[in-house]
Amino acid sequence: MAFRRHLPIMLFGCAAAVLPLALKDPYYLGILVFIGIFSIATMGLNLLMGYAGQISLGHAAFYALGAYATGILTAKYNVHFLPALAAAIIVTAGIAYVIGMACLRLKGHYLAVATLAAGEIVFICLNASVGFTGGPSGLAGIPSIEIGGFSFDSDFKFYYLVWAVFILLFILTANIINSRTGRALRCLHSSEVAAAAMGINVTTLKVQIFVLSAVYAALAGVLYGHSVTFISPQASDLMFSVKLLTMIVVGGMGHLWGGVLGAALLTLLPEALSAFHDYELIIYGSILLVIVMFLPGGLMRGFETLYVTILKKVRGRG
Amino acid sequence: MAEIILEAAGIRKEFGGLIALNNVDFGVRRGSITAVIGPNGAGKTTLINVMTGVTPPTAGAIALNGLTISGLKSHDIARLGIARTFQTAQVFGTMTVLENVMVGRHTKTGCGMIASALSLGRMRREEKAIGDKALYYLDMVGLGDLAQQPAASVPIGTQRLLEIGRALAAEPSVMLLDEPAAGLNTQETRALGQLIGTIRDRGITVIIVEHDMELVMDIADEILVLNFGSRLAWGTPEQIQANPQVIEVYLGRDE
Repeated sequence: MAFRRHLPIMLFGCAAAVLPLALKDPYYLGILVFIGIFSIATMGLNLLMGYAGQISLGHAAFYALGAYATGILTAKYNVHFLPALAAAIIVTAGIAYVIGMACLRLKGHYLAVATLAAGEIVFICLNASVGFTGGPSGLAGIPSIEIGGFSFDSDFKFYYLVWAVFILLFILTANIINSRTGRALRCLHSSEVAAAAMGINVTTLKVQIFVLSAVYAALAGVLYGHSVTFISPQASDLMFSVKLLTMIVVGGMGHLWGGVLGAALLTLLPEALSAFHDYELIIYGSILLVIVMFLPGGLMRGFETLYVTILKKVRGRG
Repeated sequence: MAEIILEAAGIRKEFGGLIALNNVDFGVRRGSITAVIGPNGAGKTTLINVMTGVTPPTAGAIALNGLTISGLKSHDIARLGIARTFQTAQVFGTMTVLENVMVGRHTKTGCGMIASALSLGRMRREEKAIGDKALYYLDMVGLGDLAQQPAASVPIGTQRLLEIGRALAAEPSVMLLDEPAAGLNTQETRALGQLIGTIRDRGITVIIVEHDMELVMDIADEILVLNFGSRLAWGTPEQIQANPQVIEVYLGRDE
């Protein structure tokens, strides 16, 4: 059963493994790296929003914190990557815990505004602590990721690292969703009072999942920072939080593949529409609007419905 | 006379200026079916919410097996053995019928996020046990065939049964049912009465808030009558039916 559950991701992994060999243009490899990074961030946010039903408009902050933490430690203090990574996870988890404890008492719009404010505070701090983060001009010269003497110093190598991390996290996440904890999470989405009546500690669980999803965002941020060797406070701004959220809504809330699909679409779309860069916000807004109005479950659910409908028709005839 | 399992003393609940419950006392015997009746707005659901920690009482105390539970959080009270259903069915709509009942096993199991993520052997064994138990209780409420249906897609009467199944899966010592017959037809209500009897026979103490008088008089061992937040009467169905005050405010004046 566990094998069957993980079959799609295994197949996906095989496809991802051979894809770079077929690609001629290194430009696309770079885009695939970004899609992988965003997919990791959306996976965490999807756990929080799609499954547990808690909104966050501040996840870009955790993404930036992850990137800054390993960036500063490796670039400025010559710390090895793995200890720097551990530090990044601990720092982000700690900050997410504090923010989560403060914000998650709130619901709906209030939670959205509170997380937005928390994200903005991080954004301001990153801008202001010039000596530490480089301030508005950013932190440059982040070295390549090096693990056990092996350096991920090309897009090609980095591609495999990013997607390996993605697949590993995907399996862990799928396991969580289909477990006692995962069911408890999904309960929060429908009825907190019923969840509590079944013995689920709602507050603790919300904070737990908030921290976990922040760690996913931090991991994505770490990969981003080392991939482009540069990070600026821009990465933690509201626009990026909204972008992550849009990816999930477009792809499919509460659908693990939805985040990947959304990340892919919203990364490829600006490339395809690069001429319309000034209208990016309008385009995002329109997409969001259309999806929410006509496909409230996101594209992934739309595809599933389509598949089931076709299957029924085919079987009905046969 | 069996011992008292759940005891409420001087329960008072105010919402702003409104007194929803005023000095309510009662004691529920272990293994009995106690019905709480009263006109709309009498405070029945508030009483259930106070007993399950959804909202703390303004004054007074509730004890389960002699242990004070008033003031505790909902999830702690659930852990101590009180399960409930809701007046408006609160099923977990994004999950299957079976998964809903599996949630009922939450307090009886313990694997956390890390064990689940790594799919440890301990977790897989526990999952298997949760699934088996859930199916068992799903069959008990007669919904075994619907196990894989999305919970949001089943009719409201079925959702009520599902809630009972979910509460049963928690293997509680006390079960609180908030208007389980609302929206059910005569036949379904009769089946519900039998199910509640079965639940009692398993040693679970049942407290039921219900408007269907036929059902209440049929199954209840004792009845608590609330009116404007106060206890109007307490007794066996026969005593309640013969109580002139109850007849006047609730059952209607009999000419």
